[in-house]
Amino acid sequence: MTGPVARAEAERRLYFEDVRVNVPLETPGMTLTEAHVGLFAGITSSRPADSAAVPDLIPLCLSSGLGWRVPLPPLVVLAFMGFDWQFFKPTRVGDTIRSISTTVAKRSMREGGVVIEERQILNQAGEIVQSGRLTLLVAKRPTA
Amino acid sequence: MLSYRLVSGESATYFEDLQVGEAFVSPGRTVTEADIVMFAGLSGDYNVLHTDAEHMKSSLFGERIAHGLLGLSIQQGLLDRVVPGQSTGPLASVKWKFKGPIKIGDTIHVEARISAKKDGAAPGHGVITVERRVVNQRGEVVQEGETDHLVSRRPA
Repeated sequence: MTGPVARAEAERRLYFEDVRVNVPLETPGMTLTEAHVGLFAGITSSRPADSAAVPDLIPLCLSSGLGWRVPLPPLVVLAFMGFDWQFFKPTRVGDTIRSISTTVAKRSMREGGVVIEERQILNQAGEIVQSGRLTLLVAKRPTA
Repeated sequence: MLSYRLVSGESATYFEDLQVGEAFVSPGRTVTEADIVMFAGLSGDYNVLHTDAEHMKSSLFGERIAHGLLGLSIQQGLLDRVVPGQSTGPLASVKWKFKGPIKIGDTIHVEARISAKKDGAAPGHGVITVERRVVNQRGEVVQEGETDHLVSRRPA
């Protein structure tokens, strides 16, 4: 499709060329609930013995969705290539997390480009609970 | 998660009990469309890679693929089924590579090995490093990496 609707749709996406380096982007918050823990337990078949403890991977998983709720069009990610992550503090049901992401480097490739994102997950007290670097393969803007 | 609390003194495994070179193979699990839909709902990540079958027909992968972090989460659950939950403590760090797609219907299992033990920053704890590979039904490594865990030392 190449009509005006398709073009408007394309404009609401961010491509490799649009990625700005060193501009921090903060997401809205998300309160961690027993429902998150229960759903995660259903998906992974793994449940913590302490029902108020939030499995360490949940904040990381939720941060990828929080990244869609910033006042910017979504980045056209072709593939998640890898990440390097540290866990500093456990989270509990009732904590509210948010994340701050900053692109620290970008490198053009033949097919798309590689974007290195630094991400911090904070709790309601502003403490960093988890942080690390993610490597994403991002699409280049299609040529008309 | 490999972060269960100790349930009883009897089942406790301490840092001293874990040996470098110990290896584990998990059962397999078939990743379904339902897993991907549920994970999109949980994480809020509705990227077309995981949710738009029509769009993905013309993509590099030819069809929807599982979220990388879904694969990571499933492998964690799979390994919990073979490594006693008490034997490894909370995650300290993860280094991870997504090497290939996990598609709907693929069956994955985990191969893991304790690759290192070192002193932890906190007193009374050590750190173990677990190397993990997520392998599909064709023997292809689709994800791999290593995780560091804080483990209690045996009380004096």
